[in-house]
Amino acid sequence: MAIFSYFYSENLSCMSKNLSELSGRKGLTNNLFEKMGDAAKETGTPSEERLNELSEEFLIGKASTYGTTTFYDFTKPENKNKKVYICNGSACVCAGTQQKVKETLLKQFTENEIGHMTCLGRCYENSAFHYQGKNFSGQDMLHFKKENLIQNNLLNYNIKATTPLLTIPYSGFENHYALLKKALNQTPDELLSEIKKSNLRGRGGAGFPMGFKWEACKNENNNTKFIICNADEGDPGAYSDRYLLEQRPHSVLFGMMVAGYITGAEWGVLYIRAEYPEAANIVQQAIDELKANNLLGKNINHSNFNFDFKIIKAQGAYICGEETALINSIEGQRPEVRTRPPFPTQMGLFNKPTVVNNVETLAAVYSIIKNGGADYAKLGTEKSKGTKLVCLDSFFNHPGIYEVEMGTPLSFVINELGGGFKIPVKAMQIGGPLGGIVPLEKINELSIDFESFAKQGFLLGHASVVCIPTDFPMMKYLEHLFEFAAYESCGKCFPCRLGTKRGHELTQKALNENYKIDRALFADLLNTLQQGSLCAHGGGIPLPVRNALHYFNKELKMYFN
Amino acid sequence: MNTAYINNNPYSFNAGESILAFVKRIEGNKIIPTLCDAPNLDPFGSCRVCSVEVALEKNGQTKTVASCHTPVTNGLYIYHNTEAIRQLRKNIIELVLTDHPLTCLTCEVNGNCELQEVAARVGITEVRYPEGANHLNRAKDLSHPYMRSELSKCINCYRCVRACDEVQGEMVLTMAGRGFDAHIAKSFNQSFFESDCVSCGACSQACPTSAISDVFQSKSIQATQKTRTVCTYCGVGCNLEVATVGGKIKSIQAPYDAEVNGGHTCLKGRYAFKFYDHPERLRTPLIKRNKKFEPATWEEAYDFIATQLTHIKNENGPDAIAGISSARTPNEENYLMQKFIRAVIGTNNIDCCARVCHSPTALGMQKTFGTGAATNSIEELEYTDCIFVIGANPSNAHPVTGAKLKQKLMKGITGIVVDPRKTDLAKYATYHLQLRPGTNVALLNMMLYYIISEGLEDKEFITSRCEGYEEMKAEILKLNINELEEITGVNKNLVREASIAYAKANAAMEFHGLGVTEHTQGTYTVQLIADLAMITGNIGKKGAGVNPLRGQNNVQGAADMGAQPHQGAGYLDVTNAEINHRYNQFYGAKVPSHIGYKIPEMFDAALNGKLKAMWIIGEDVVQTDPNTQKVMKALESLDLLVVSELFMTETAKLATIVLPASSFLEKEGTFTNGERRIQRVQKVVEPIEGTKPDGQIIVEIMRKMGYEQCDYTAENMLNEISQIVPFFAGVKWNELGKNGKQWPVLPNGTDTKMLHTKEFTRGKGKFFFYPFKESNEIKTYEKDYPYIITTNRELEHYNCGAMTRRTGNVEIVTEDVLLINPIDAQENKIKDGELVCVESPRGKVDIKAKITNEVKLGVLSSTFHFPEIMLNNITSNEHDSEAMCPEYKVVSCRIRKSKGKHLTH
Ligand SMILES: Cc1cc2nc3c(=O)[nH]c(=O)nc-3n(C[C@H](O)[C@H](O)[C@H](O)COP(=O)(O)O)c2cc1C
Ligand code: SF4
Ligand code: SF4
Ligand code: SF4
Ligand code: SF4
Ligand code: FES
Repeated sequence: MAIFSYFYSENLSCMSKNLSELSGRKGLTNNLFEKMGDAAKETGTPSEERLNELSEEFLIGKASTYGTTTFYDFTKPENKNKKVYICNGSACVCAGTQQKVKETLLKQFTENEIGHMTCLGRCYENSAFHYQGKNFSGQDMLHFKKENLIQNNLLNYNIKATTPLLTIPYSGFENHYALLKKALNQTPDELLSEIKKSNLRGRGGAGFPMGFKWEACKNENNNTKFIICNADEGDPGAYSDRYLLEQRPHSVLFGMMVAGYITGAEWGVLYIRAEYPEAANIVQQAIDELKANNLLGKNINHSNFNFDFKIIKAQGAYICGEETALINSIEGQRPEVRTRPPFPTQMGLFNKPTVVNNVETLAAVYSIIKNGGADYAKLGTEKSKGTKLVCLDSFFNHPGIYEVEMGTPLSFVINELGGGFKIPVKAMQIGGPLGGIVPLEKINELSIDFESFAKQGFLLGHASVVCIPTDFPMMKYLEHLFEFAAYESCGKCFPCRLGTKRGHELTQKALNENYKIDRALFADLLNTLQQGSLCAHGGGIPLPVRNALHYFNKELKMYFN
Repeated sequence: MNTAYINNNPYSFNAGESILAFVKRIEGNKIIPTLCDAPNLDPFGSCRVCSVEVALEKNGQTKTVASCHTPVTNGLYIYHNTEAIRQLRKNIIELVLTDHPLTCLTCEVNGNCELQEVAARVGITEVRYPEGANHLNRAKDLSHPYMRSELSKCINCYRCVRACDEVQGEMVLTMAGRGFDAHIAKSFNQSFFESDCVSCGACSQACPTSAISDVFQSKSIQATQKTRTVCTYCGVGCNLEVATVGGKIKSIQAPYDAEVNGGHTCLKGRYAFKFYDHPERLRTPLIKRNKKFEPATWEEAYDFIATQLTHIKNENGPDAIAGISSARTPNEENYLMQKFIRAVIGTNNIDCCARVCHSPTALGMQKTFGTGAATNSIEELEYTDCIFVIGANPSNAHPVTGAKLKQKLMKGITGIVVDPRKTDLAKYATYHLQLRPGTNVALLNMMLYYIISEGLEDKEFITSRCEGYEEMKAEILKLNINELEEITGVNKNLVREASIAYAKANAAMEFHGLGVTEHTQGTYTVQLIADLAMITGNIGKKGAGVNPLRGQNNVQGAADMGAQPHQGAGYLDVTNAEINHRYNQFYGAKVPSHIGYKIPEMFDAALNGKLKAMWIIGEDVVQTDPNTQKVMKALESLDLLVVSELFMTETAKLATIVLPASSFLEKEGTFTNGERRIQRVQKVVEPIEGTKPDGQIIVEIMRKMGYEQCDYTAENMLNEISQIVPFFAGVKWNELGKNGKQWPVLPNGTDTKMLHTKEFTRGKGKFFFYPFKESNEIKTYEKDYPYIITTNRELEHYNCGAMTRRTGNVEIVTEDVLLINPIDAQENKIKDGELVCVESPRGKVDIKAKITNEVKLGVLSSTFHFPEIMLNNITSNEHDSEAMCPEYKVVSCRIRKSKGKHLTH
């Protein structure tokens, strides 16, 4: 995507400028989306009366608030009276644990009270479910009583590093923020040049160079700018952002503050998914700590730098991880993907210049500022610098999070760090639902970096690893992928809205009926999704499907003619 | 420099141009298929059928992008018709057809459906997918008098949602749900009728299929003919494209290439046309004999009128006869009417309804600038950074302009709204100065005070282009601000901030309506508004100016044509000897040089026996002029009252003779909108049988009374007008084109978007100072009648409602209501929907209460669209001191819960 660069062209922007502006009038402190979320808390969906009040308060149509709330899993009218949510993410599905969870929960809840959440970030032990703002997984189910919640252990997975930068132990508030105070003595330009020197590329999936993004935002002439931390880690199988938010919140906040200082933004927004309630609490505590230490607000440490944080809790929609949908979400608009240009750095949140970065990307800033960009760039491969967190699911002998230098062979991660597979596995989906399906035979040809994966026809993505056990039918996995893609499609563009649904129907039919999929039709469908989709959701789903068709043709050909 | 390649051929592109626009410009409109793109909407990128391949070098590696929202970049190679692209488009449409009924033959838009057309163009022959989930069973929405939806035909292109948001700004429509379940919903998932829809029809016009449509099936291809004309309702002057089938009107759409309304209208223009062949249309002349109307032939009618007029003229002199021309009729007819009164009757007793709306504007602006018309054009909203709206509620009264203003305010342009009511625009404005009705002068003085005391005047502009500044300044600085704050009821700091915002804007654009003019100090208010514009240099530049929102569609034109007693055609002073000579020569008759009666003076003259005959064209003075009882008495005391009308209005009922006139749809001419734009009104259908265009009627009577007048055609009349009205010098029927011309039109045909660019029409702009003076109405009656009722307009109805009440609009708004503040309601124990008796020194009416925060404590508001209420029974006798425009906006009254005795009917 980076080969085409566009200049700014406001009249080509496609979201509702009116809704952005009107929501922006009240901004973050009186936030429309947050209010809609609050309004849904009691019964699972906001009342008509409350939505009408919000429409009047924000001077928008009743349709605007209604349309938004019908989008999210946790605000839509169908969600009314749901009490407990069972994870249906890929890792839990492959692990086959969720039927048991449901049976157990049915003893305490009615069928109607049980809903779904997609990936609670408990992929290392599965059996995940959510109840009253808390996540449970692994053995929790055995002791779960809805009247008497026992707080579960948040850190039930391995954390290891070959090259610890992100996982380095927290040095304590004073030490940690001494670095910020030091940084605030430097000019934004000096700091930006370190970021650029580091060649850090975004960890959210697209791999876009962070320095360029920040520079673009910095160059915009506007008094109001925003830094958004994309903590919507929606990829089933990924929980590294969750790790950072819960275990290293100050690294993330540090990165956002540096971003603010460099670009001239005075607000940092953390958009945290609803499925990570604990993460939101922990980050809020970290923000409070900053406040208590006078490191937020006006003129921080006499540097003329003003900054404040706002946590926005998401309401259950995978597409909100896509940065423009995320921006719409914060504004209280329907989180549909925007066209680009204009890019968020030109016209983002409330139509103001905005940087959106992934949690891990932001967390990496700390060591760059500490040791210098050049030092950071010494690590990794030519085009992938630094370190990367990799998440291994419960099929490994040592499930957990591993920080490795970019370029580390995949086999090392699997065998040495992960300790190999617990039970026979035939493939891994790496990089989330839109990442490639990597058959075992390709393990030795891959290393953890953007280039190696791209070259082999896969995607590093966020580097989550979900195993597909040998006895799990590949067609069933494809059906699961299409179901996910269709369920999570924002529905804005024709190819994805219709194509993911038809893909799901075709695979379902082939699995359950005596139906053979026409290969030409299927190829056309994948092409249409890939070339035609507006964003990488619909555009990305063909990759794993094609991988499967290619590497598992033997298993799959019975479903095609 | 800016070069890109289409199929390897180089062309230069414009900065910011999308690939789609670029390719269309070079290779023609239909070259790339689209579904979600629409001419008046921002690109959106949902359908993806506009996809093209692009490469950075000739035949290089390509990437597929949607052309509608991807900008062209230098050196880009665009391939819009490759095999891969053709395949992709076909595959997308195939997917669309998996969830679309294949019932084209029975669909109302068959033959004019964008999906059908694109499907045919990409060559779909089959749908290969097995049957799956679909939305073919969605129920039709038949709830609304105009709007229709049948969402099983929806292709989720969002065009309706965007039209409602980006064009009308109403946000009634949304997508709901997500992914495959995403579907169009109205307000809180309601029917059109229950929703907040204002029936503008933008969504219906935008929808590429029949999923959203209207009762008139305006997208069907049944029409045998389409005629472009201009809306007859308000002064915005929207262009309409009227479809007819076999000489009957089928439906109306808005042409996208109309400069005034670019594909938009309000419900009046688009849907409120069914009055035209309503059974109650007058179809024969009626002569009243023994208090009963009897049908007559046109010949009888003409004889009757000519004989009576000649008789009265001989007996009582020409000044015993008066005419009221209609601002609803074309320029040519207004010109003829005033010519008839002046040249054939021989009196200056000619006026028009501008008297009761914008006469103070014309007068005030003439005094300060030299021309009584909007200084700038609406399209300049693109250049303004401050919008100042005073005494106007364009969202209801000038809906298309209102929608444009709302778009700007929503996007955060500084907005200042001065209005006693919390109007829709006031909600979106930065500053709402919610003053007590009748205190505009005090408020504007405060604004002048702050601009001067903050040193924010445009000194350069003032010294080089204006006069009278120091005198005004001296008076302003003497004012007691605290006293003014008390009078207006608006916090002085708020006024100060708003004044500063207005003064500091690069270009501030003022708009005003009848909330400025319909006051005893109406003309002064206009002059003070002009002061504000001059003191800040907001004249003669783009995006600035003083811009009255003219009420009736042709109220500008009626005055231009001389339908007023002190100025003849072209605003020339009738008392000036030289001009009198010119008129005499031109008309070939002796025209009087003393000023005639203004409308209120006509009524007075009738009451005291000086006026014996009146001819009123298309104006229901009984229902719409203030103090109904007095107006009725005046008309009843005449010897002859001729009324030309479409319907038997309250005024027509009092006539001696009623002439059935043709509506705007049945005749040709020109209307001049509020930005001085002269646009062609074209005949859509033949006159309803028995009726005649007013122009023809006047010509025939002129001839009957012995005056030689050429046949009525728009071309003939414009030819004559262009010789006497200076600013029409270059106006020719055949050269007006689709979008008309803005006067002054020079002899060579060039028109003028902006007035007073180098110097004012009167040379220097003149500053005036006027102190606030409480209306007599308040001074006299405040004690016994402590409430103030002010009058306003509903979107759905037009003035007396004679037309709109005979359309589906009446199903949407069924009656006049009284807006009342919750606290006032509580104090008087009035519940929502209950009848309230509103009593003024003139009379009483009973109206249903609507409790709302829109009005402040002590202020009530209502409309006079329905004869059942006759609100003007209570409005006052007060007039603007200069232009005699009645004070509809300030009426002292008292209220109580009613037992329902005072309904007129
Ligand atoms: C369907 C979809 C889902 C995405 N989900 C996430 C996500 O959960 N977290 C994330 O950081 N980025 C996600 N992204 C990528 C973001 O759009 C964006 O590129 C990223 O937040 C930029 O941050 P970075 O430059 O630091 O990677 C997603 C993109 C798409 C198309
Ligand atoms: S590809 Fe899917 S998720 Fe992305 S914009 Fe299109 S419909 Fe939405
Ligand atoms: S008719 Fe106008 S207001 Fe009503 S839904 Fe359509 S666009 Fe919106
Ligand atoms: S109703 Fe019409 S305009 Fe609206 S989304 Fe459906 S097809 Fe498009
Ligand atoms: S805005 Fe005025 S001119 Fe335009 S359609 Fe409505 S009434 Fe007619
Ligand atoms: S016209 Fe470009 S995506 Fe629809």
